[in-house]
Amino acid sequence: MNPPAPTASTTSPPIVAPGYNRPPRNPGPSWGFGFLRLADRLLPEWLYRPLRAAGTWVAMLGMHAQRAHSRAYLRAVLGREPTSREVFRHFFVFEEALILKLRVAGGHPHRGVLAAGSEDFQRIIQSDEPALLGTFHFGHSDLTGFLFGGQEKRRVALIRQRVGNSRDTDQLAKRFAGWVSFIWVNAGENPLFAIKDAIASGSSVALTCDRIEFSARSEAFTFLGARRLFPFTIYHLAMIFQRPVLLSVGVPGGPGETIVHSSPAWRPDPRLGREENFALARAHFQTFLSRIEDLLRTNPYWWFNFIELNPEVPAAC
Amino acid sequence: MPDPLVSKLKVLIVETLRLEDVVPAEIPDDEPLIGGGLSLDSIDALELVVRLEKEFGIKISSSEESRVALASIGSLASYIRAHVAPDRLPV
Repeated sequence: MNPPAPTASTTSPPIVAPGYNRPPRNPGPSWGFGFLRLADRLLPEWLYRPLRAAGTWVAMLGMHAQRAHSRAYLRAVLGREPTSREVFRHFFVFEEALILKLRVAGGHPHRGVLAAGSEDFQRIIQSDEPALLGTFHFGHSDLTGFLFGGQEKRRVALIRQRVGNSRDTDQLAKRFAGWVSFIWVNAGENPLFAIKDAIASGSSVALTCDRIEFSARSEAFTFLGARRLFPFTIYHLAMIFQRPVLLSVGVPGGPGETIVHSSPAWRPDPRLGREENFALARAHFQTFLSRIEDLLRTNPYWWFNFIELNPEVPAAC
Repeated sequence: MPDPLVSKLKVLIVETLRLEDVVPAEIPDDEPLIGGGLSLDSIDALELVVRLEKEFGIKISSSEESRVALASIGSLASYIRAHVAPDRLPV
């Protein structure tokens, strides 16, 4: 029997979000990151990089499901069947972002630079106002919370999924200790209450807005030629806590730099009704999602979701 | 005569969560609030908790505590009585 077609708006089962309390997946062997760091210290880059490429080929050949998801995504963004070389490049760009993360965790100098038009982001991140920071599995976005926590001395609680090997995240946390904390979505506690406590203590909260498995509320948006479900919880949280929402992604800049593209701030407007506020919120999210799609059209390998592309819903939704 | 706290909680739930089709007095005292006939989810629970905290000056600090408090209208009333000074309760 086929599962029912997704609808335009979904809600979670009681108290928990759909992926809550799922056992952590393991992205690789527990010694993997340590081995990569050691090789990084011992080998010259001209030798290490081709070795990483070879390792990526080997890993990719063993990751059947991720390869299929990469191919499906690339088909959607390129509008044609991707070549095996393009699938490899998708994996390799992800691997290179991981290496950068490990290097930054190890103390490698790196900074975030705001792209033009990020005035709201700059103003809020430099103020004492806690905000809800939405991000995506995209390019260097994994680093932006750490970089701005450390650079701007703002306390940021990052919502993450605890995986079998979280050594990269643990090391980044150690480097940016004091400014960055974590709320694990699959650690047994309902993360919504941890978010409440973080906001009450004056922290901003960063959560990803592209994977629906842990999202309590999802809605349909236009992305890569179809109406697809994306998490919408961040706007519900903004309404509950009366906090601004900023969406951002990080992309590779010059050496030692991540360029952060961000949206204008969206704030719940007390003069408007709830539905009017949500209508504006939907437009806010769609505008930024379209901006991400534009970035992907020129840099298709920056989409780091090697899982099923966000489910489609009927166009009428 | 209905318990004034229970009556107030029912109205507060309907108002906070905009349950337009629900008559407050018709919410059973022992019906589970989350996952019961009201079809509330985790975001609703959070929104309700934030409103209750403002309304009664309490702090519900964990999901476990909220699970106990929001088990039903009756248990919510008991929780509030146990955590709120009597002069803040409706009479």
